[in-house]
Amino acid sequence: MVDFPLTIDALVFAAFAPILGVIAFWFLQLFTIEFQKRLLSQLRHHHEAFCRFTNYIGILFQALSQALGYTVTRSGISSFQVTVNYEKVEPKKEKEGVFEWVAQSFLLFGPFFIPAGLVLLMSYFVVGRGFVYPTLLQYTFIESLTGFLTSLSTFATEFGEFFITLDLFNPLHVGFVCVLLFFGLGIRPSYIGQERKEKIDILRDLIHIKDHLIEKPLYIAVIILILYLFYLFSLFFNPGVYVGLFVLFGWMSLTAIIAILLTVPLLLLIWATDLIQPRWKTVPFLSIPVSYIVARVLLLYQPMNHVEQVSLLVMLFSTFLVTIALIKYKRTNRFKTAVKMKHVRVADGKKGTSKK
Amino acid sequence: MVKKELLKNEQIERVLSPHPLSFMKLQTLCIFVIVWGVVAWWLTEYSEYAGLFSGNEWYPLILWGLVMLLVGVIASLVAIQWLIFFLYLGVFLGGAGLVFWQHWESSIPLFIFIYSIAVAIVGFLIVELYRRSHKYVVTNLRIIFKGGILTKRERTIRYDKIADIDAKQGILGQIFGFGTIIPVSQSGFGLGSDKTMAAGGVEVGGTKARLFGFAGGGREVQTPIARSYYELHGVYPYKDVKQLVEDLVQSHVPTQYQREQVEFQKQQVDIQTQMRDLLHKQVGGKPRKRVTQQPVDEEEEEPEEEEAAQKVSRRKIIAPVAPVEEAFEPEQVDIQQQMKELLKKQKVARVNPPEDEDVEEEGEEESEEGEEGKEDGK
Repeated sequence: MVDFPLTIDALVFAAFAPILGVIAFWFLQLFTIEFQKRLLSQLRHHHEAFCRFTNYIGILFQALSQALGYTVTRSGISSFQVTVNYEKVEPKKEKEGVFEWVAQSFLLFGPFFIPAGLVLLMSYFVVGRGFVYPTLLQYTFIESLTGFLTSLSTFATEFGEFFITLDLFNPLHVGFVCVLLFFGLGIRPSYIGQERKEKIDILRDLIHIKDHLIEKPLYIAVIILILYLFYLFSLFFNPGVYVGLFVLFGWMSLTAIIAILLTVPLLLLIWATDLIQPRWKTVPFLSIPVSYIVARVLLLYQPMNHVEQVSLLVMLFSTFLVTIALIKYKRTNRFKTAVKMKHVRVADGKKGTSKK
Repeated sequence: MVKKELLKNEQIERVLSPHPLSFMKLQTLCIFVIVWGVVAWWLTEYSEYAGLFSGNEWYPLILWGLVMLLVGVIASLVAIQWLIFFLYLGVFLGGAGLVFWQHWESSIPLFIFIYSIAVAIVGFLIVELYRRSHKYVVTNLRIIFKGGILTKRERTIRYDKIADIDAKQGILGQIFGFGTIIPVSQSGFGLGSDKTMAAGGVEVGGTKARLFGFAGGGREVQTPIARSYYELHGVYPYKDVKQLVEDLVQSHVPTQYQREQVEFQKQQVDIQTQMRDLLHKQVGGKPRKRVTQQPVDEEEEEPEEEEAAQKVSRRKIIAPVAPVEEAFEPEQVDIQQQMKELLKKQKVARVNPPEDEDVEEEGEEESEEGEEGKEDGK
């Protein structure tokens, strides 16, 4: 048993600190998603297939979340269909009341946290030391919030260290970066629907969530009550458990934010290569592995500390310089039409006119 | 396609070949060889577990080979194609033989890395060569499929012989816009059987025996399945090609309305033949030879018919009505009755006019013929 002070701060306000923290980070996540979607919309014109790919991942995550909702509520899954444009998950039994509401919650909140949770599990193998739970002493609102943020800060620092010491000759590191990119690119789909496409953006998500929450205010009250009871219960034993629960959600949001931020340089590179003549377009992409391998091989003959970091810097700078140089000297035709000219592609994917 | 190969009045609508990513299943086999080769090299040379493999210089090669064969067995069971296993077995034995022959035992991890990449590159080239050997020609009369590197295969299917079209588009296809279209012929060409867990099963005297204690036997399901050179495999742009093939098939299949009109035409000709026979009986007392192939002969024989009718009318005017002719009246009434019924049916058919312009034109022609027939009947 732990002794805690009988103050209003300890009994009421401290319970809300981690909830506010999670909401803040979730909003940050929403904004980064929106930022990424804006970038993707800039690329859509020239990279339709790439955008369809990201959309597919987003729809897949959404379908998985929905399916998980039906599984948790024991509704069962009668059909599961995921395509590039839409998803269809149907329950075996149509449940009503709490079960229906919970299943809907999985659909609305799941895509933000469930895939992130899976990536978080994987990240344990590379940033395992970053999983530190807070220790509380004063049981105040500020302390709870600080504890929450400290845990997240430790986690973010570990992630940062991982990126700085990234060894691209280590399959584990490369695999994890690929998973992060995969997850970051498709955390949410850009649109849903085959015939009539419904745009998915921050406003659409928030409106749906708001409608869902105000639909059953009693359920929200019950959830808050359960959480508060859990907080009171944890006060007697270890208040860190309560904060730790929300820290878990904070880590998920942070993982998602990091993954999205990691995709930004890739998207910028794709956008930049659109300015280069088609013949030279692949050069910036090739310079990434080539410059890294050359740097690592050269540093074998000139041993020094921080070989991985230096190689990474060489890779980043050389790719940046190559891209800038190509944009300057091998810029594509500036008098191109704003709208892509319609042309029929021949079967092997090369551009040209159809052979009728 | 050489113009010599085209039939009379045949025009090429589209020449297609599979999309570069449409053979991803085969390319995945090569990707796995590269990835596992790199991982095995790192694992046995640079990872923290490298010490585990320092006991014997052959350990890295054994690990590499075992994992590859295990994946080969799993892939073979899933794809129901033992070729994958034997392919990986060949790669492993080739590598082991090369190390043994050249005495490269001291640098096996590096050998695995280089050998994997080399084998995968060769694999990619073969897959690409195989892809490029495919050529599909969609003409206005038929689809011609060509493929094969060493053995050249060709299939031709006319649109009127296509019973069903199976179309599928995988995830990569949806992303890059390609897909596969299997035209199933009336004889069932294009259909195959999908045997559940058939790869591990052994057939003994008509009954399926179990292998490994769990695999074997199972249901046999008929499913559209064909070799890539007998289907429009991974064609781009999928939606356009599918629409084109469906339109061409549709244009070669008679609609319900057209079938009904053909049936009416047959009945009309039957009645006309009966009428002709009756007229001949009235004229000479002998029925004329029954005509079986009516539609073609009809136009040519119409003048004769008219002449015969004129002769009859002339005789009717010149000579008084003979008692023999009176005997034909019930038959005449019967034929007239049949004609009336047929005309009624045609009117009912006209209530639902066809949508297609071409069919409408044909329908008009039919109705005109019907009216002519009516006049003849009278």
